[in-house]
Amino acid sequence: MIKANSVTKIVNTSEGSLQILRPISFEVKSGESVAIIGASGSGKSTLLGLLAGLDEVTEGEIYLDDEGLHNMDEEQRAVLRGNKVGFIFQSFMLVQSLTALENVMLPAEIAGLDNPKKLATDILEQVGLKHRANHFPNQLSGGEQQRVAIARAFITSPKILFADEPTGNLDAKNSEKIESLLFQLNKDKGTTLVLVTHDNALAQHCTRQLTMNAGELTETTSRVDEQHIEAV
Amino acid sequence: MSTSFNLAWRLFRHEARRGELTIILLAIVLSVAAVLSLSLFSERLQGALKSRSAAFIAADAQLRSGEPIDENWLAKAREEGLSTAKQVATRSMVFSGDNMSLVDLRAVNQQYPLKGAISVSDQPFGEKQEINALPAEGEAWVQARLFQALNIALGDEIEIGDGVFTVTRVLVDIPDAGFSIFNTDPITLINMNDVERLGVTGPGSRVRYIGYFSGEVSALSSFSDWLLPNLNDELHAWRTVADDESAIGRSVANAERYFLLASLLAIVLAAVSIAVAAQRYAQRHFDPVAIMKTLGATSQLIRQVYLIQIMLITLLGIAIGLVIGFIGQQVVVSLVAEQVDVSLDVWHWRPLLIAVATGATCALLFSLYPLLQLFSVPPLRVLRKDISANLRSRSLQFIASGGAIFSLMWMYSQDLKVSAILFSSGIALVLGLLAATYVLIVLGRRLGSGRMGPWQLAWARIKRRAMDNSVQLISFSVTIMLLLVVLVMRNDMVSQWRSQLPEGTPNYFLINITPDIQPKLDRHFNDNGIQIDEFYPVIRGRFVAVNDEGVNTAVSKEDEPNREGRQGLGREANLTWSSTLQKENKIVEGEWHAGTDTLTKEGLYPVSVEAGVAERLGISMGDKLTFNVGSEIVETSVTSIREVNWQTMQPNFFFVIHPDAMASFSPTYITSFYLPTERKPELTNLLRPFGSITMFDVDARINQVREIVDQVSVAVEFILVLVLMAGSLVLIAQVQASMDERRQEIAILRTLGAKGGLIRRSVIYEFLIIGSVAGFMAALANELSLYMLQTSVFQMEGSLHFEYWAIAPSVGAVVVGILGAFGCWRLLTLNTSQMLRKMV
Repeated sequence: MIKANSVTKIVNTSEGSLQILRPISFEVKSGESVAIIGASGSGKSTLLGLLAGLDEVTEGEIYLDDEGLHNMDEEQRAVLRGNKVGFIFQSFMLVQSLTALENVMLPAEIAGLDNPKKLATDILEQVGLKHRANHFPNQLSGGEQQRVAIARAFITSPKILFADEPTGNLDAKNSEKIESLLFQLNKDKGTTLVLVTHDNALAQHCTRQLTMNAGELTETTSRVDEQHIEAV
Repeated sequence: MSTSFNLAWRLFRHEARRGELTIILLAIVLSVAAVLSLSLFSERLQGALKSRSAAFIAADAQLRSGEPIDENWLAKAREEGLSTAKQVATRSMVFSGDNMSLVDLRAVNQQYPLKGAISVSDQPFGEKQEINALPAEGEAWVQARLFQALNIALGDEIEIGDGVFTVTRVLVDIPDAGFSIFNTDPITLINMNDVERLGVTGPGSRVRYIGYFSGEVSALSSFSDWLLPNLNDELHAWRTVADDESAIGRSVANAERYFLLASLLAIVLAAVSIAVAAQRYAQRHFDPVAIMKTLGATSQLIRQVYLIQIMLITLLGIAIGLVIGFIGQQVVVSLVAEQVDVSLDVWHWRPLLIAVATGATCALLFSLYPLLQLFSVPPLRVLRKDISANLRSRSLQFIASGGAIFSLMWMYSQDLKVSAILFSSGIALVLGLLAATYVLIVLGRRLGSGRMGPWQLAWARIKRRAMDNSVQLISFSVTIMLLLVVLVMRNDMVSQWRSQLPEGTPNYFLINITPDIQPKLDRHFNDNGIQIDEFYPVIRGRFVAVNDEGVNTAVSKEDEPNREGRQGLGREANLTWSSTLQKENKIVEGEWHAGTDTLTKEGLYPVSVEAGVAERLGISMGDKLTFNVGSEIVETSVTSIREVNWQTMQPNFFFVIHPDAMASFSPTYITSFYLPTERKPELTNLLRPFGSITMFDVDARINQVREIVDQVSVAVEFILVLVLMAGSLVLIAQVQASMDERRQEIAILRTLGAKGGLIRRSVIYEFLIIGSVAGFMAALANELSLYMLQTSVFQMEGSLHFEYWAIAPSVGAVVVGILGAFGCWRLLTLNTSQMLRKMV
């Protein structure tokens, strides 16, 4: 589903160019859930940005559902994101002047789906926020806002979901709720999940964990392997 | 399209309801309301003023001609829907028994006058009353002076040319009597049908034919467009209210320029506030755009959403602005209705169109750059908040906003000069401000360090928010400068008008005073407690040659229209002589001949020439001018050129010769005096011992001028109040916009435990600093633009206003400081968590 070949990212700063990602290659299969873990500044969010087509690689190739992101311009990448990708962010990233319902409807409308309002109402019900549909983001708690964001991410039934520190701004109780909701929906919809976090507990929920360290990516382990090891 | 409209409509609806569009909406509402109320008010006022000044030429326009006016032209004017009237004017001798006198004969047709009214009185020098009638055939209405000169009474007969007329009324005034104390023979008004039989219009006589035209502005302009190419410059002169060069004409013209200026400044104020608001609006939408792009929105969709939204905001702003502007203007009109004449026409299309065009152009052009910035926000911003717009080139912004302001000013004023002056001083101001901001930042770096007191916080913030502050400083300064220009211009203009005709301005002129009568007259007036002005000697002479080259001495152009050669004065000159420079006269070249040297080195007598006539006749310093006085020749040399204030009510002269040159002539004297209205009945007795003197009554004229000046002054004051209100609202909007930006910082400071007092004081100090710098810069820029405006547009003397160099920074500091304190106080009433939540 996702394939990265020798992806590098170099940015130009006032003190010369800075290599943020060393050549990175890896693959994520359909339906897998992958956690990218690492310390702050290790480059994990940069990698997420590249994989999701929000940023351009300096060198290398990225394929999303067999489509080469590296050959596309911003417009083409936007269309691809709209059709196949969902997002969840640490700071929720809801449009403040739209209600919860309208925020959820937004990707469906952009993708031109039929009856976005019904789709949004249904999915808000699934995340338990139907009664808060007409509230604005600043009238919701952090946990509620992230649930709206999750509903928004799943409304178009994307093939791939990118999540950037989805529980980073939440307390322990809300984090738990969000985690279970995220993985439940992910399972129900058969979505491929790429999740960036520095929270090991959250990472453990994923089938694979990749570790970023100073711009280099190493495969740590996978839950399948762990189970396999335990079984042995 | 439906997706983008739905999204735009939804954003618009919610944001409007939640008050998030208030600032940009307010800016558009303000611009539309200010422009509509100002231009509608001034249009209505101008309508009234125009019709008043139209009374001075008895029509909206006149065609003066040396030959009878083509009847087809008059017919064409009537076809265009204009009213027309005719006059034939000439100088003629009038006889009554053994007495005779030269009169200014005016024959008019039934339609005369189209504007203004004829006034008459029951007896010579009696109370005047307006009359809506004209002399019948065989009747003559004559001015009081002719009763004196011919020793006649009402009902007596007089002879003019081959005709005999019965004097049936005392004529006081006709609207276009003209206003000159020289060449003023008493007016005699007769019926047009009598002209033929008089035989005074034959070959060799000097006759002026006048056609009068009045009607709708559009009809008048389409007629004049048709007529002007048919005119012969040598024969015809087209004159409209706007061409009126009298004191009244100039006052009205200056008032019109002032209204124009005020409205232009209102447009700039509106533009500044829209620019500030649009910038703020765009910045607030950086996140939503990044989110939408991340969720798959194409650039085209984003563009559509925001363009539709801006259009919705603009439409709403224009609609509210039109309502507020109209109501505001109606309120002002009802408040000033007692002091000022305004046209009763409530609805004028031009102001409405201007207001809508201004609102739309400002909103769209000033939001262009912020919107382009918005469109360029990359989706990556969802992960990295520090990434904002990709658009870096600010030159586009300067070109878009500069171009928008300039074209609006030009389009509206249709006056390149005024627009260019205001625009260039605006640019000078912006450059100065950028330099000032730089100095502030450097200062801030020094002062903003050390222990954190409110002053340190204020300086540190100024330093940190350098770019934002420079924008804010510029907008504050522009606003203050524009307010200063309107305020100071109004003060200068009104005081200049008032000084033209101070209390006690002479309202009667005496001419034909012979040298033997002069001392007696002086004593007689003194005995009666009337202050009499200086006596100026006057003698009629012909200006015949410049440097021995003969000039055209024809009395009027009509006599010899095709004669070639050097242009002359066109009539006899009134020569005076003096060794003292008259007050309100200023030497602009050479030296006044006050010295003891009677003759110049060429052996000629010095003469001082008025600047305008020198330019018109091509006379320069050192030229030899020859005058023919009676049978004598007087040769003079130009030793000075004078500027004369023609707007004062004192005798002014083109040529002032050295007294020694004129010693052998016996002059008559001219003088003036002031007599209060309540003493007017004494006039006849006062002048009884001096039968040979002619009196010229300008009291009515002075009162008319004063009335108009007073009206215009009141109107100008209201315009000033309107602009001040608009400006204050702009300042408030600017402070509000900047408070929005400060919210985050205040939230953090409060979270860190800073006391409300510290934050409040630091914000107030910051605004005090910005306000005083803005005020000072505005005072400097104000001087520059005022000087240029006064000297090249308003034809006034340029003046410096040092007091404002102190007033502007203090008022700027106080007003901006108070606004800042108020805005900050509102923020501090929110609790910290509310503020933090609002930041998300």
